[in-house]
Formats: sequence, structure tokens, C-alpha cells
Amino acid sequence: MIAFRSLLPALSIALLAGCVTEPAATLPNPAEEKALAALTTSTDAHEKARACQELAVIGGPAAVPALAALLNDTHLSDYARSGLEAIRAPAAGEALRKALDGLQGRQLAGVMNSLGVRREKAAVPDLRALALDAKRGVSAEAVASLGLIGTTEAAKVLQQVLTAGPADLRIAAADASFVAAEHLANEGNPAAARGLLESVVRALPPGRVATVAQNHTAALRTRR
Amino acid sequence: MNTTRRHFIKTAAVALGMPTIIPASALGKNGAVAPSNRIVLGGIGLGPRGRGDLKAFLAQPEVQFVAIADVQKARREVVRVMANRHHGNHDCVETREMADVLGRDDIDAVLIATGDRWHAVASILAAKAGKDIYCEKPCSMTIRESQELADAVKRYGVVFQAGTQRRNVDNFRYAAELARSGRLGKIHTVHAGILPLRESHEWLPAQPEPAPEVIDWDRWLGPAPWRPYNKDYVDGRWRGYYDFHGGAALPEWGAHTIDLCQWAASADSTTPVAFEADGQTIYGSYASGVKLVMRLSGFKGEGNWVVPGTCPVRFEGDAGWVEAADTGKIAVSTPALLDKGTPAEMAGTDPTKHVRDFLDCIKSRAKPAANEDVTRRGHIVSHAASIGWRLGRKVQFDPVSESFVNDPEANRMCSRARRAPWHA
Repeated sequence: MIAFRSLLPALSIALLAGCVTEPAATLPNPAEEKALAALTTSTDAHEKARACQELAVIGGPAAVPALAALLNDTHLSDYARSGLEAIRAPAAGEALRKALDGLQGRQLAGVMNSLGVRREKAAVPDLRALALDAKRGVSAEAVASLGLIGTTEAAKVLQQVLTAGPADLRIAAADASFVAAEHLANEGNPAAARGLLESVVRALPPGRVATVAQNHTAALRTRR
Repeated sequence: MNTTRRHFIKTAAVALGMPTIIPASALGKNGAVAPSNRIVLGGIGLGPRGRGDLKAFLAQPEVQFVAIADVQKARREVVRVMANRHHGNHDCVETREMADVLGRDDIDAVLIATGDRWHAVASILAAKAGKDIYCEKPCSMTIRESQELADAVKRYGVVFQAGTQRRNVDNFRYAAELARSGRLGKIHTVHAGILPLRESHEWLPAQPEPAPEVIDWDRWLGPAPWRPYNKDYVDGRWRGYYDFHGGAALPEWGAHTIDLCQWAASADSTTPVAFEADGQTIYGSYASGVKLVMRLSGFKGEGNWVVPGTCPVRFEGDAGWVEAADTGKIAVSTPALLDKGTPAEMAGTDPTKHVRDFLDCIKSRAKPAANEDVTRRGHIVSHAASIGWRLGRKVQFDPVSESFVNDPEANRMCSRARRAPWHA
């Protein structure tokens, strides 16, 4: 209800300007408020887990802070990610990105994956830093998420990892590059996809994964 | 393409440009299978169904089973003993970590028969490792997983066969062929038998976790969200829980029966464009006008099907109908439809011919009957239909984008976060 009240002034202005087409989508509905209340007041892990899953279906921007607060929870972090992955509002992606600095281990890996699933372009610099920082211990997960994001900026980072990154990260970077190349090709940039795959071929010694890259590169040669 | 011993031998001989002189026994004469023609198999998560599949694999002369990964000690020991007894050696190794199996260069293919929560992730990891894959059904928990699995199989060029063996069971094949060949006239309705739809969000009471060496609960959960341990789950009673059983149990039999309906309706490359539930029945509509009816069946003859048995299907055209089920029997609207002879009675649960199809495709690199493409769409139909049922209203679906049309609420149900670090 507090969140609803806080939205009223902005909503009124927007209505007067005639630019609100889906006001109901931005307001917490009773079911969402109930789930939010469970998240913030319950001490029962099952209730909180269930609330996260409900918010994955019905939650809006108002649910983001409560979900983000659970990202460091050993058992509930993945439930919270379920909610944040599904809420399309930019605030959900921003909350995941901001959480990166304070997390480690599985919780950090999970949040990085969610950023990849959401294809959060703004997270590319953060993921680049994590990919190149061996001390954080999540380099492979970071490059995997860059592959899921699959933009030209993400592809550039993957090329950096392939050409100048540690040798033990190259297979993970190759796997991520295959996913990124598919995104690039499907979104009208086969040249960038080809360039990325050629980086894989150059970076890897002959073998199964290099052969996969060669096959995909050959397939892309016919696409403009 | 895998770089296996078989491929190496083939390519090395050509590259050296010289005749290969190999002993007859090594070429498989006198009934022996040449080492170069053997298919080295590993297993991941083989419970009762998985061991049934393994038995079918071991009955094939070229299969050599060498490793089992299972999070339950009792299960992996049973499989190890079973394999060693069959081969007459002590070569099969057991581990609770599937990476130990996927990381072995000598293994050509894997049999995956974990619980549903692991199927897609384990298959994707296997594809990344270059292994050919036979994976039990349902192969995915969500629409997104169905897509990711098929994409990974294509990406790495491996052979994939879903454990939807009815595509290779005689009466089901005969029924689908009657529909596809036009002998039933223009097909207007296909019926898929399903189990009751259910979806529990409850947690069983917490119990003390066993030692990981005995039952590794963390790995048992894998990509599914955490919940406290209870022995019932690992004893097989995980079905019906949302976190472990995707699609409100619709894919449990729908992975078979909806898949067969897709095949019979010549709809393997598409999906229905709308779904609407009425109680425990869900109606799908293809753009072609064909209706897909997903209706109750069961273990005790539920649903008024003509042919007795589990996993029934019925295909109706304007010139006749056919029905088939797991008893191996078939019923037709007119005896003339059986003029090519009644198909041999074979249990619908028998994977023998399906396993043979998979092994042949490992050698030929052709696509088996339940390949990644048909599996992708058949599973997407199951999941999309179950989302319509959950929402309790009609939903429109786009077969090309594989998403709901102008329906953000439904589209939010197409994916779930996977528990870290099992993201594949």
C-alpha cells in the first residue's frame, strides 16, 4: 500500500498527459501485496520461497527490493532470482547487477546467470571484470553469462578472453562464444558472429571444440 | 562430430593412405564386435526405469557400459554390479559426480535417467562434452529448457534420442502411419492420454540429511530450488511437486502421447496455436484446423478409451479412426485398415527398438526417431498446454517464436531460475 501511495503523484501526471496505457501493470495487486508481506514479515523459509515463486508470475517493480534482499540467502537466493528473472522492469536487472559486489560463491554465480538469462547489456562491464578476476573464482560463470547476453559488446569481451585470457578459461569462453554467435547471427549480425567464431578457432588447439567452431564458421559464410 | 576411437581409426587409415591390416577378430568376424565398432556407454542417474533402458542397451552386442554416476550409493552399486556381471569383468566404475563420466574421452554416449529436474541440464552438459545422448522423458521442466536442450544438441552436433520409445513401438508406429498416409482421410482430431494434472508447492517435513557419499542431497536437487531433505523424494515420490515435476505432470505421459499426436498430425515442425482447458481436459488447435485433445487416461482404464493400456492415443480422420495403447493392441474403425497385417504386440514401455535406432544413428550420424527437433516441439506443447491449464483461460501460442501471443503473464511461466551452480 505504501508503494501504491508513492506512485500516485507520478500516475496522476502520467494520466493527465494521456500516456498511461497499462496502469494496472505497474501497481501491486492484492496477491502481490500478500506475497510481498510474506517475504518481509515471515520467518518461515517455505513461505518465503513460495512468495518468491508467486512474484515470479505476478510481481512488478514494487517486489524488486524485497527479492533483492534475499540474494545473499544461502537457501532462498535461487528463489529470489526466479522472481527477479521474470520481472521485466529494468529495476530487476539493476538490482541483480548491484548485488554482484556483495556476493560470492554460489550466490554470485547464480546472480550472474540471471543477468545472462535477462540479457542485461548494462552488466557486460561487470561480467568482464569478474571474468578477468581469478580471485573471485567465478570466471567461467562470468563468460557463460556474457555468452547469454550475446551483444557485440559481450562478444568483444569474449574475444579478449579467448586471445589474452588464461588458457584454462578458453573452453568456457568458446562454449559461451557459440551461444553469443547464435544470438548475433539471429539478430542480423552474422559478420560479428563469424568474427567471434574465428577467434575461437584461433584460440583453441585442434580438437573437438575447435571443430565445432570451424563447422559453425563455415555455416555462417553463406549468411550475409 | 565426436573424435572417438572409432572415428580416429577411420580417419587415421585414410590419412595415412595405406591399407589397414587388422585381425579378423578385431573386425568383428566370428560374432565378435570389433573394438572400433564398440559403443562405449556411461550412465547418469539410473533408477528402475534407467536400469530397464540399460538392460536394452546391454542386449545390443556393440555396447560396452563402463561408468555410472549417481547421487545414490545404493543405485550406483546396483548398476555397477549389473554391468560387470553382463560383461564378465570389473571395468565399470561408479561415482556420484556426472563430470567424471562426461570428462572421459573413451565414452561415446550417455544414458541419462535422473529425475526430470536434471534431464535438460545433464543433457546440455553431455552435449558440451561431445557425448551422444539417450535421455529419459520428460526431457525438460519448462519451455525454455526445451529450447535450450535442442539448441545445445545442434550446437555441438551430437546425436540425441529422447526416451519416448513409442515412436519405435509397432502398434503406435502403425497407427501414426495410418494417419500420416491419408488412409484415415483428412485428419481432424488427435487425442493424447494424460495423467491427472497436479501441482503441489508443499514441502515434506525436514529429516536429517544422509552423508553425501550415501545420498548426496545437494546434487540430487541439482538445478531445482533448495528444500529440506526428506527420504520420500529420493525414493521416487518426487512427482507432483512443482519444483521437480514440470508442466503440472502433463509431460509425464504427454511427452509420449502428445509427441505421437504431433507425428500423426504431420505437425512435428509446429505446435498448436491455442490451448484451452476444461477441467482435466485441454484442447489445442493447430493452424491447420486439426484439434489436439489432451484427456485423462490412467493405470486403471480411466477415460473411456477403446484400447486398454497406459499412454493411449487416438487419431481421427474423415474416413476412419485408429487407437493404440501400451498393451501393444490397436483398434480401427474398419478392418480394412489392418489389411497390411495387425502389428506385432509389443509393450509400449519396451525401449528395445528405440535403443537400436539410437545406436544405429550414433554410427550413421543420422537423426533418430525422437531427435532434438521433435522433442523440442512435443515438450513445448506439453508445457504450453499446462500453462493454459494453470491460468484457467484460453491462451494463444506462436509456433514460430515459441511464445504466447500478447500474454506477458503466460510468458513469465516459460522459464525458471536454475539453482546455482547448475546452469549448464
